[in-house]
Amino acid sequence: MVTNILILGDGAAGTIMANKLRFLTHREDAEITVIGNSKYHYFKPDGIHIPLGIKNYRDSVKNPKFLFNYGINYVRDSVTRIDVDNRNVSTQSGKNYTYDYLVIATGDRLVPEEIENFDREAHHFYTLEGSLELKEKLSGFNGGKIVIGPSSIPYQCPPAPYEFAFQLDRYLRRRGIRDKTELHYIFPLNRVFTMENVSNYVQKLFDEKDIIYHTLFNLESIDAQKKTVSSLEGEDQKYDFLILVPPHKGQQVITESGLAGDQGYIAVDRHHLNYGDYDNVFVVGDATDLPISKAGATAHFQSEYLSGRIASEISGFVAEELYDGSVACTTVTGDEKAFTLYFSYTRPPRALFQSKADYLLKWTSADTYFSGMLRGVM
Amino acid sequence: MEEQEKPTKVVDARGSFCPGPLMELIKAYKSAKTNDVISLYSTDTGTKKDAAAWINKSGNQLIGVFDREGYYEIVMKKTK
Ligand SMILES: Cc1cc2nc3c(=O)[nH]c(=O)nc-3n(C[C@H](O)[C@H](O)[C@H](O)COP(=O)(O)OP(=O)(O)OC[C@H]3O[C@@H](n4cnc5c(N)ncnc54)[C@H](O)[C@@H]3O)c2cc1C
Repeated sequence: MVTNILILGDGAAGTIMANKLRFLTHREDAEITVIGNSKYHYFKPDGIHIPLGIKNYRDSVKNPKFLFNYGINYVRDSVTRIDVDNRNVSTQSGKNYTYDYLVIATGDRLVPEEIENFDREAHHFYTLEGSLELKEKLSGFNGGKIVIGPSSIPYQCPPAPYEFAFQLDRYLRRRGIRDKTELHYIFPLNRVFTMENVSNYVQKLFDEKDIIYHTLFNLESIDAQKKTVSSLEGEDQKYDFLILVPPHKGQQVITESGLAGDQGYIAVDRHHLNYGDYDNVFVVGDATDLPISKAGATAHFQSEYLSGRIASEISGFVAEELYDGSVACTTVTGDEKAFTLYFSYTRPPRALFQSKADYLLKWTSADTYFSGMLRGVM
Repeated sequence: MEEQEKPTKVVDARGSFCPGPLMELIKAYKSAKTNDVISLYSTDTGTKKDAAAWINKSGNQLIGVFDREGYYEIVMKKTK
Protein backbone atom coordinates (compact mmCIF):
# COMPACT_ATOMS: atom_id res chain seq x y z
CA MET A 1 0.00 0.00 0.00
CA VAL A 2 1.28 3.45 -0.85
CA THR A 3 1.33 5.98 2.00
CA ASN A 4 0.22 9.40 0.95
CA ILE A 5 2.27 12.22 2.53
CA LEU A 6 1.02 15.75 1.99
CA ILE A 7 3.26 18.71 2.86
CA LEU A 8 1.84 22.25 2.95
CA GLY A 9 4.39 25.01 2.32
CA ASP A 10 7.38 25.25 -0.02
CA GLY A 11 9.74 27.25 2.17
CA ALA A 12 12.66 26.00 4.25
CA ALA A 13 10.72 23.48 6.37
CA GLY A 14 8.49 22.07 3.62
CA THR A 15 11.34 21.63 1.15
CA ILE A 16 13.72 20.00 3.65
CA MET A 17 10.94 17.67 4.88
CA ALA A 18 10.01 16.58 1.35
CA ASN A 19 13.60 15.98 0.25
CA LYS A 20 14.58 14.12 3.41
CA LEU A 21 11.48 11.94 3.22
CA ARG A 22 12.21 11.15 -0.42
CA PHE A 23 15.68 9.95 0.54
CA LEU A 24 14.29 7.82 3.35
CA THR A 25 11.37 6.12 1.61
CA HIS A 26 10.86 3.99 -1.50
CA ARG A 27 8.69 5.50 -4.20
CA GLU A 28 6.44 2.43 -4.22
CA ASP A 29 5.87 2.86 -0.44
CA ALA A 30 5.33 6.59 -0.17
CA GLU A 31 3.96 9.29 -2.41
CA ILE A 32 5.08 12.80 -1.46
CA THR A 33 3.14 15.89 -2.55
CA VAL A 34 4.07 19.46 -1.67
CA ILE A 35 1.61 22.34 -2.12
CA GLY A 36 3.22 25.76 -1.99
CA ASN A 37 2.53 29.24 -3.27
CA SER A 38 5.90 30.98 -3.22
CA LYS A 39 6.94 32.97 -6.29
CA TYR A 40 10.59 32.20 -5.57
CA HIS A 41 12.59 30.60 -2.80
CA TYR A 42 14.54 33.37 -1.10
CA PHE A 43 17.31 32.71 1.41
CA LYS A 44 16.13 35.18 4.06
CA PRO A 45 19.33 35.29 6.18
CA ASP A 46 20.95 37.28 3.35
CA GLY A 47 18.68 40.16 4.38
CA ILE A 48 21.50 41.28 6.70
CA HIS A 49 23.87 41.66 3.71
CA ILE A 50 21.76 42.71 0.69
CA PRO A 51 20.60 46.17 1.94
CA LEU A 52 24.22 47.11 2.64
CA GLY A 53 25.33 46.34 -0.90
CA ILE A 54 27.75 43.60 0.14
CA LYS A 55 25.89 40.72 -1.50
CA ASN A 56 24.04 40.40 -4.76
CA TYR A 57 20.47 39.20 -4.28
CA ARG A 58 20.69 36.89 -7.32
CA ASP A 59 22.71 34.37 -5.30
CA SER A 60 19.95 34.24 -2.68
CA VAL A 61 17.00 33.35 -4.92
CA LYS A 62 16.03 30.11 -6.67
CA ASN A 63 13.01 28.75 -8.50
CA PRO A 64 11.32 26.44 -5.94
CA LYS A 65 10.44 23.94 -8.65
CA PHE A 66 14.09 22.94 -9.03
CA LEU A 67 14.72 22.50 -5.32
CA PHE A 68 12.75 19.27 -4.98
CA ASN A 69 14.42 15.91 -5.46
CA TYR A 70 13.24 13.51 -8.13
CA GLY A 71 10.02 11.71 -7.18
CA ILE A 72 8.31 14.59 -5.37
CA ASN A 73 5.05 15.93 -6.71
CA TYR A 74 5.27 19.75 -6.37
CA VAL A 75 2.03 21.68 -6.89
CA ARG A 76 1.97 25.47 -7.08
CA ASP A 77 -1.27 26.48 -5.44
CA SER A 78 -2.57 28.16 -2.29
CA VAL A 79 -4.11 26.15 0.51
CA THR A 80 -7.45 27.66 1.49
CA ARG A 81 -8.75 25.12 4.01
CA ILE A 82 -7.28 22.36 6.17
CA ASP A 83 -9.84 19.92 7.57
CA VAL A 84 -7.98 17.52 9.84
CA ASP A 85 -11.13 15.65 10.91
CA ASN A 86 -11.93 14.66 7.35
CA ARG A 87 -8.29 14.46 6.18
CA ASN A 88 -8.96 16.98 3.46
CA VAL A 89 -7.01 19.99 2.16
CA SER A 90 -8.63 22.41 -0.29
CA THR A 91 -6.82 24.84 -2.55
CA GLN A 92 -7.52 28.06 -4.38
CA SER A 93 -7.72 26.30 -7.75
CA GLY A 94 -10.64 24.24 -6.43
CA LYS A 95 -8.76 20.99 -5.89
CA ASN A 96 -9.02 18.72 -2.85
CA TYR A 97 -6.28 16.53 -1.46
CA THR A 98 -6.46 13.73 1.05
CA TYR A 99 -3.55 12.22 2.99
CA ASP A 100 -2.28 9.59 5.39
CA TYR A 101 0.25 12.02 6.88
CA LEU A 102 -0.10 15.78 6.83
CA VAL A 103 2.88 18.07 7.48
CA ILE A 104 2.03 21.75 7.89
CA ALA A 105 5.00 23.98 7.03
CA THR A 106 3.33 27.22 6.04
CA GLY A 107 5.65 29.46 8.09
CA ASP A 108 4.42 32.84 9.20
CA ARG A 109 3.58 36.17 7.55
CA LEU A 110 4.47 39.80 8.08
CA VAL A 111 1.63 42.07 9.18
CA PRO A 112 3.01 45.65 9.05
CA GLU A 113 -0.58 46.90 8.70
CA GLU A 114 -1.07 46.13 12.40
CA ILE A 115 0.98 49.25 13.24
CA GLU A 116 -0.30 52.52 11.87
CA ASN A 117 2.24 54.31 9.64
CA PHE A 118 4.56 51.31 9.52
CA ASP A 119 4.54 51.10 5.71
CA ARG A 120 4.97 54.85 5.34
CA GLU A 121 7.75 55.35 7.86
CA ALA A 122 9.61 52.13 8.58
CA HIS A 123 12.06 50.21 6.42
CA HIS A 124 12.89 46.56 6.89
CA PHE A 125 15.09 43.71 5.68
CA TYR A 126 12.64 40.84 6.25
CA THR A 127 11.76 40.22 2.59
CA LEU A 128 13.74 40.55 -0.61
CA GLU A 129 11.60 43.51 -1.73
CA GLY A 130 12.08 45.18 1.67
CA SER A 131 15.84 44.61 1.54
CA LEU A 132 16.20 46.10 -1.95
CA GLU A 133 14.12 49.12 -1.01
CA LEU A 134 16.15 49.59 2.17
CA LYS A 135 19.36 49.43 0.13
CA GLU A 136 18.19 52.28 -2.05
CA LYS A 137 17.00 54.42 0.88
CA LEU A 138 20.19 53.83 2.86
CA SER A 139 22.32 55.01 -0.05
CA GLY A 140 20.60 58.39 0.27
CA PHE A 141 21.15 58.57 4.05
CA ASN A 142 23.90 60.99 5.04
CA GLY A 143 23.71 61.10 8.82
CA GLY A 144 21.17 61.53 11.60
CA LYS A 145 19.50 59.26 14.10
CA ILE A 146 18.68 55.67 13.12
CA VAL A 147 16.31 53.68 15.32
CA ILE A 148 16.34 49.92 14.79
CA GLY A 149 14.72 46.91 16.46
CA PRO A 150 11.85 44.44 16.51
CA SER A 151 8.34 45.84 16.74
CA SER A 152 7.02 42.80 18.60
CA ILE A 153 7.84 39.22 19.63
CA PRO A 154 7.83 36.56 18.15
CA TYR A 155 9.66 37.28 14.91
CA GLN A 156 11.89 35.22 12.65
CA CYS A 157 15.52 34.75 13.63
CA PRO A 158 15.73 36.53 17.01
CA PRO A 159 19.36 37.71 16.49
CA ALA A 160 18.67 39.27 13.05
CA PRO A 161 17.94 42.84 14.28
CA TYR A 162 21.13 43.06 16.36
CA GLU A 163 23.09 41.46 13.51
CA PHE A 164 21.73 44.14 11.21
CA ALA A 165 22.67 46.85 13.71
CA PHE A 166 26.27 45.56 13.75
CA GLN A 167 26.39 45.35 9.96
CA LEU A 168 24.95 48.84 9.69
CA ASP A 169 27.57 50.24 12.08
CA ARG A 170 30.28 48.88 9.78
CA TYR A 171 28.51 50.16 6.64
CA LEU A 172 28.24 53.65 8.09
CA ARG A 173 31.92 53.64 9.05
CA ARG A 174 32.91 52.57 5.57
CA ARG A 175 30.84 55.37 4.12
CA GLY A 176 32.53 57.80 6.52
CA ILE A 177 29.26 58.91 8.14
CA ARG A 178 29.32 56.93 11.40
CA ASP A 179 30.39 60.02 13.37
CA LYS A 180 27.38 61.87 11.96
CA THR A 181 25.02 59.03 12.90
CA GLU A 182 23.48 57.92 16.17
CA LEU A 183 22.48 54.25 16.19
CA HIS A 184 19.71 53.41 18.66
CA TYR A 185 18.52 49.86 19.32
CA ILE A 186 15.10 49.16 20.85
CA PHE A 187 14.08 45.83 22.40
CA PRO A 188 10.90 44.66 24.21
CA LEU A 189 12.60 42.87 27.14
CA ASN A 190 14.74 44.24 29.98
CA ARG A 191 17.90 43.32 28.05
CA VAL A 192 18.98 43.44 24.40
CA PHE A 193 18.26 39.79 23.61
CA THR A 194 16.06 37.00 24.93
CA MET A 195 18.81 34.77 26.36
CA GLU A 196 20.64 36.39 29.22
CA ASN A 197 24.23 35.30 28.52
CA VAL A 198 23.92 36.17 24.80
CA SER A 199 22.37 39.47 25.77
CA ASN A 200 25.31 40.33 28.06
CA TYR A 201 27.72 39.57 25.25
CA VAL A 202 25.82 41.60 22.65
CA GLN A 203 25.39 44.47 25.11
CA LYS A 204 29.18 44.62 25.59
CA LEU A 205 29.66 44.79 21.83
CA PHE A 206 26.97 47.48 21.54
CA ASP A 207 28.91 49.52 24.12
CA GLU A 208 32.18 49.06 22.23
CA LYS A 209 30.57 50.14 18.96
CA ASP A 210 28.61 53.02 20.47
CA ILE A 211 25.22 51.52 19.68
CA ILE A 212 22.79 52.99 22.20
CA TYR A 213 20.09 50.62 23.48
CA HIS A 214 16.67 51.13 24.99
CA THR A 215 15.26 48.05 26.69
CA LEU A 216 11.65 47.36 27.74
CA PHE A 217 10.59 49.20 24.63
CA ASN A 218 7.43 47.54 23.33
CA LEU A 219 6.58 49.52 20.24
CA GLU A 220 3.10 50.96 20.39
CA SER A 221 2.90 53.66 17.75
CA ILE A 222 4.73 55.56 15.03
CA ASP A 223 4.03 59.28 14.70
CA ALA A 224 4.80 60.16 11.10
CA GLN A 225 4.57 63.93 11.68
CA LYS A 226 6.82 64.08 14.71
CA LYS A 227 9.04 61.25 13.40
CA THR A 228 8.80 59.53 16.74
CA VAL A 229 8.27 55.94 17.88
CA SER A 230 6.53 55.47 21.22
CA SER A 231 6.53 52.49 23.51
CA LEU A 232 3.80 50.94 25.61
CA GLU A 233 6.01 51.79 28.60
CA GLY A 234 5.74 55.50 27.83
CA GLU A 235 9.11 56.20 26.18
CA ASP A 236 9.50 58.18 22.95
CA GLN A 237 12.39 58.00 20.51
CA LYS A 238 12.76 60.46 17.66
CA TYR A 239 14.24 59.12 14.43
CA ASP A 240 15.48 60.32 11.08
CA PHE A 241 15.60 56.81 9.69
CA LEU A 242 13.53 53.92 11.03
CA ILE A 243 14.33 50.22 10.55
CA LEU A 244 11.86 47.86 12.22
CA VAL A 245 11.14 44.17 12.05
CA PRO A 246 7.47 44.05 11.00
CA PRO A 247 5.04 42.30 13.35
CA HIS A 248 4.55 38.59 12.51
CA LYS A 249 1.56 36.25 12.60
CA GLY A 250 0.86 32.69 11.49
CA GLN A 251 -0.92 32.20 8.16
CA GLN A 252 -4.56 33.17 7.83
CA VAL A 253 -5.51 29.69 6.55
CA ILE A 254 -4.38 28.26 9.89
CA THR A 255 -6.68 30.53 11.90
CA GLU A 256 -9.53 30.13 9.42
CA SER A 257 -9.24 26.36 9.57
CA GLY A 258 -9.54 26.50 13.37
CA LEU A 259 -6.03 25.13 13.95
CA ALA A 260 -4.95 28.19 15.98
CA GLY A 261 -6.30 31.42 17.43
CA ASP A 262 -5.86 34.93 16.06
CA GLN A 263 -2.04 34.80 16.30
CA GLY A 264 -2.07 31.87 13.89
CA TYR A 265 0.65 29.73 15.51
CA ILE A 266 -0.24 26.06 15.95
CA ALA A 267 0.15 24.41 19.36
CA VAL A 268 2.04 21.14 18.94
CA ASP A 269 3.49 18.49 21.20
CA ARG A 270 6.98 19.79 21.95
CA HIS A 271 8.67 16.40 21.65
CA HIS A 272 6.63 14.80 18.83
CA LEU A 273 5.56 17.88 16.81
CA ASN A 274 2.06 16.49 16.26
CA TYR A 275 -1.04 18.64 16.46
CA GLY A 276 -3.58 17.93 19.23
CA ASP A 277 -4.66 14.30 19.43
CA TYR A 278 -3.87 13.64 15.78
CA ASP A 279 -0.99 11.24 15.32
CA ASN A 280 -0.82 11.88 11.56
CA VAL A 281 -0.83 15.71 11.55
CA PHE A 282 2.50 17.43 12.19
CA VAL A 283 3.77 20.99 12.14
CA VAL A 284 7.36 22.08 11.42
CA GLY A 285 9.16 25.41 11.10
CA ASP A 286 7.83 28.86 11.91
CA ALA A 287 4.19 27.71 11.91
CA THR A 288 4.43 26.19 15.43
CA ASP A 289 3.92 28.05 18.69
CA LEU A 290 6.95 26.35 20.28
CA PRO A 291 9.03 28.56 22.57
CA ILE A 292 12.14 28.29 20.40
CA SER A 293 13.71 30.44 17.69
CA LYS A 294 11.76 30.80 14.47
CA ALA A 295 14.71 29.83 12.32
CA GLY A 296 15.69 27.80 9.29
CA ALA A 297 18.01 25.88 11.61
CA THR A 298 15.02 24.96 13.77
CA ALA A 299 13.13 23.78 10.67
CA HIS A 300 16.19 21.73 9.73
CA PHE A 301 16.50 19.96 13.11
CA GLN A 302 12.74 19.37 13.27
CA SER A 303 12.71 17.90 9.76
CA GLU A 304 15.60 15.64 10.66
CA TYR A 305 13.56 14.26 13.54
CA LEU A 306 10.18 14.13 11.81
CA SER A 307 11.27 12.66 8.47
CA GLY A 308 13.02 9.87 10.37
CA ARG A 309 9.94 9.20 12.43
CA ILE A 310 7.48 9.14 9.51
CA ALA A 311 9.81 7.04 7.36
CA SER A 312 10.28 4.52 10.15
CA GLU A 313 6.53 4.28 10.74
CA ILE A 314 6.01 3.61 7.04
CA SER A 315 8.58 0.85 7.12
CA GLY A 316 6.69 -0.68 10.03
CA PHE A 317 9.01 0.14 12.85
CA VAL A 318 8.36 2.86 15.38
CA ALA A 319 11.26 5.00 16.52
CA GLU A 320 11.18 6.20 20.10
CA GLU A 321 13.32 9.26 19.44
CA LEU A 322 12.08 12.62 20.73
CA TYR A 323 12.60 16.09 19.30
CA ASP A 324 14.68 18.00 21.85
CA GLY A 325 14.35 21.61 20.64
CA SER A 326 17.87 21.78 19.18
CA VAL A 327 18.89 24.91 17.30
CA ALA A 328 22.27 26.05 15.97
CA CYS A 329 22.65 29.58 14.75
CA THR A 330 25.54 31.70 13.57
CA THR A 331 25.11 35.37 14.29
CA VAL A 332 27.13 38.24 12.86
CA THR A 333 28.77 40.84 15.09
CA GLY A 334 30.08 43.17 12.39
CA ASP A 335 33.71 43.58 11.26
CA GLU A 336 33.51 40.24 9.44
CA LYS A 337 33.12 38.29 12.66
CA ALA A 338 30.37 36.08 14.00
CA PHE A 339 29.62 33.60 16.79
CA THR A 340 27.66 30.37 16.76
CA LEU A 341 25.10 29.32 19.34
CA TYR A 342 23.98 25.76 20.02
CA PHE A 343 21.05 25.21 22.33
CA SER A 344 17.92 23.15 22.94
CA TYR A 345 14.86 23.14 25.23
CA THR A 346 17.04 22.21 28.18
CA ARG A 347 20.55 23.26 27.15
CA PRO A 348 21.25 27.02 27.18
CA PRO A 349 23.88 28.35 24.76
CA ARG A 350 27.39 28.00 26.09
CA ALA A 351 30.49 30.22 26.07
CA LEU A 352 30.55 32.79 23.31
CA PHE A 353 33.44 33.96 21.19
CA GLN A 354 33.58 35.67 17.84
CA SER A 355 35.66 34.46 14.93
CA LYS A 356 36.31 35.09 11.26
CA ALA A 357 35.65 31.38 10.60
CA ASP A 358 32.11 31.74 11.92
CA TYR A 359 31.60 34.75 9.67
CA LEU A 360 32.75 32.72 6.70
CA LEU A 361 30.22 30.06 7.68
CA LYS A 362 27.49 32.67 7.62
CA TRP A 363 28.72 34.34 4.44
CA THR A 364 28.63 31.05 2.52
CA SER A 365 25.42 29.79 4.10
CA ALA A 366 23.24 30.46 1.04
CA ASP A 367 25.35 27.95 -0.92
CA THR A 368 25.28 25.41 1.91
CA TYR A 369 21.54 25.95 2.21
CA PHE A 370 20.62 25.53 -1.46
CA SER A 371 23.00 22.72 -2.26
CA GLY A 372 23.00 20.78 1.00
CA MET A 373 20.52 21.60 3.75
CA LEU A 374 17.48 22.17 1.55
CA ARG A 375 18.30 19.12 -0.58
CA GLY A 376 18.03 16.91 2.47
CA VAL A 377 21.61 15.65 2.32
CA MET A 378 22.70 17.36 5.55
CA MET B 1 -4.94 37.93 48.93
CA GLU B 2 -7.44 40.58 49.92
CA GLU B 3 -10.85 40.75 48.29
CA GLN B 4 -10.05 43.76 46.04
CA GLU B 5 -6.93 42.03 44.69
CA LYS B 6 -8.83 39.16 43.12
CA PRO B 7 -7.50 38.95 39.58
CA THR B 8 -9.68 40.26 36.80
CA LYS B 9 -7.62 38.21 34.38
CA VAL B 10 -5.46 35.14 34.82
CA VAL B 11 -2.70 34.47 32.30
CA ASP B 12 -1.57 30.88 32.54
CA ALA B 13 1.85 30.75 30.87
CA ARG B 14 3.07 27.64 32.67
CA GLY B 15 5.30 25.51 30.47
CA SER B 16 6.25 28.44 28.28
CA PHE B 17 9.78 29.91 28.32
CA CYS B 18 11.15 33.43 28.13
CA PRO B 19 9.98 35.62 26.47
CA GLY B 20 6.62 33.81 26.22
CA PRO B 21 5.22 34.58 29.71
CA LEU B 22 6.09 38.29 29.60
CA MET B 23 4.65 38.64 26.09
CA GLU B 24 1.44 36.92 27.30
CA LEU B 25 1.26 39.36 30.21
CA ILE B 26 1.72 42.35 27.89
CA LYS B 27 -0.99 41.02 25.58
CA ALA B 28 -3.42 40.69 28.51
CA TYR B 29 -2.40 44.16 29.72
CA LYS B 30 -3.21 45.73 26.36
CA SER B 31 -6.77 44.47 26.47
CA ALA B 32 -7.27 45.22 30.21
CA LYS B 33 -8.92 48.28 31.76
CA THR B 34 -7.42 50.64 34.34
CA ASN B 35 -7.55 49.10 37.85
CA ASP B 36 -7.80 45.56 36.47
CA VAL B 37 -5.69 43.06 38.38
CA ILE B 38 -3.77 40.61 36.20
CA SER B 39 -2.28 37.43 37.52
CA LEU B 40 0.48 35.65 35.60
CA TYR B 41 1.31 31.96 36.27
CA SER B 42 4.74 30.91 35.13
CA THR B 43 7.21 28.07 35.57
CA ASP B 44 10.06 29.97 33.89
CA THR B 45 12.25 31.37 36.68
CA GLY B 46 13.64 34.26 34.60
CA THR B 47 10.14 35.68 34.17
CA LYS B 48 10.03 36.76 37.84
CA LYS B 49 12.71 39.38 37.22
CA ASP B 50 11.58 40.26 33.70
CA ALA B 51 7.93 40.74 34.55
CA ALA B 52 8.72 42.81 37.66
CA ALA B 53 11.04 45.04 35.60
CA TRP B 54 8.39 45.52 32.95
CA ILE B 55 5.61 46.29 35.46
CA ASN B 56 7.79 48.93 37.13
CA LYS B 57 9.02 50.50 33.89
CA SER B 58 5.52 50.68 32.46
CA GLY B 59 4.41 52.58 35.58
CA ASN B 60 1.96 49.96 36.79
CA GLN B 61 1.77 48.38 40.23
CA LEU B 62 3.40 45.12 41.19
CA ILE B 63 1.16 43.63 43.85
CA GLY B 64 3.38 40.67 44.54
CA VAL B 65 5.25 37.55 43.49
CA PHE B 66 3.96 34.38 45.16
CA ASP B 67 5.44 30.90 45.22
CA ARG B 68 2.80 28.33 44.38
CA GLU B 69 3.12 24.58 44.06
CA GLY B 70 5.35 23.94 41.06
CA TYR B 71 4.98 27.44 39.67
CA TYR B 72 4.78 31.03 40.80
CA GLU B 73 2.28 33.79 40.41
CA ILE B 74 3.00 37.43 39.62
CA VAL B 75 0.15 39.79 40.35
CA MET B 76 -0.04 43.31 38.93
CA LYS B 77 -2.55 46.12 38.80
CA LYS B 78 -3.03 48.20 35.68
CA THR B 79 -2.86 51.73 37.03
CA LYS B 80 -2.59 53.62 33.73
C1 LIG C 1 16.20 38.71 7.88
C2 LIG C 1 16.13 37.28 8.26
C3 LIG C 1 17.28 36.62 8.67
C4 LIG C 1 17.22 35.29 9.03
N1 LIG C 1 18.37 34.67 9.43
C5 LIG C 1 18.34 33.37 9.77
C6 LIG C 1 19.54 32.70 10.14
O1 LIG C 1 20.62 33.27 10.15
N2 LIG C 1 19.46 31.40 10.49
C7 LIG C 1 18.29 30.71 10.49
O2 LIG C 1 18.28 29.53 10.81
N3 LIG C 1 17.12 31.31 10.15
C8 LIG C 1 17.13 32.62 9.78
N4 LIG C 1 15.97 33.25 9.41
C9 LIG C 1 14.67 32.56 9.58
C10 LIG C 1 14.32 31.57 8.50
O3 LIG C 1 14.41 32.15 7.23
C11 LIG C 1 12.90 31.08 8.73
O4 LIG C 1 12.75 30.69 10.08
C12 LIG C 1 12.57 29.91 7.84
O5 LIG C 1 12.43 30.36 6.52
C13 LIG C 1 11.30 29.20 8.30
O6 LIG C 1 10.95 28.19 7.42
P1 LIG C 1 9.42 27.80 7.18
O7 LIG C 1 9.45 26.80 6.11
O8 LIG C 1 8.78 27.49 8.46
O9 LIG C 1 8.76 29.14 6.65
P2 LIG C 1 9.00 29.83 5.23
O10 LIG C 1 10.40 29.59 4.78
O11 LIG C 1 8.52 31.21 5.36
O12 LIG C 1 8.07 29.01 4.24
C14 LIG C 1 6.68 28.97 4.34
C15 LIG C 1 6.17 28.60 2.96
O13 LIG C 1 4.78 28.33 2.99
C16 LIG C 1 4.17 28.89 1.86
N5 LIG C 1 2.77 29.14 2.20
C17 LIG C 1 2.28 29.94 3.17
N6 LIG C 1 0.94 29.92 3.18
C18 LIG C 1 0.57 29.07 2.19
C19 LIG C 1 -0.69 28.66 1.70
N7 LIG C 1 -1.82 29.10 2.21
N8 LIG C 1 -0.71 27.80 0.64
C20 LIG C 1 0.45 27.34 0.08
N9 LIG C 1 1.66 27.71 0.53
C21 LIG C 1 1.73 28.56 1.57
C22 LIG C 1 4.96 30.17 1.59
O14 LIG C 1 4.86 30.55 0.24
C23 LIG C 1 6.36 29.73 1.95
O15 LIG C 1 7.05 29.20 0.83
C24 LIG C 1 15.99 34.58 9.00
C25 LIG C 1 14.82 35.23 8.58
C26 LIG C 1 14.89 36.57 8.20
C27 LIG C 1 13.64 37.24 7.72
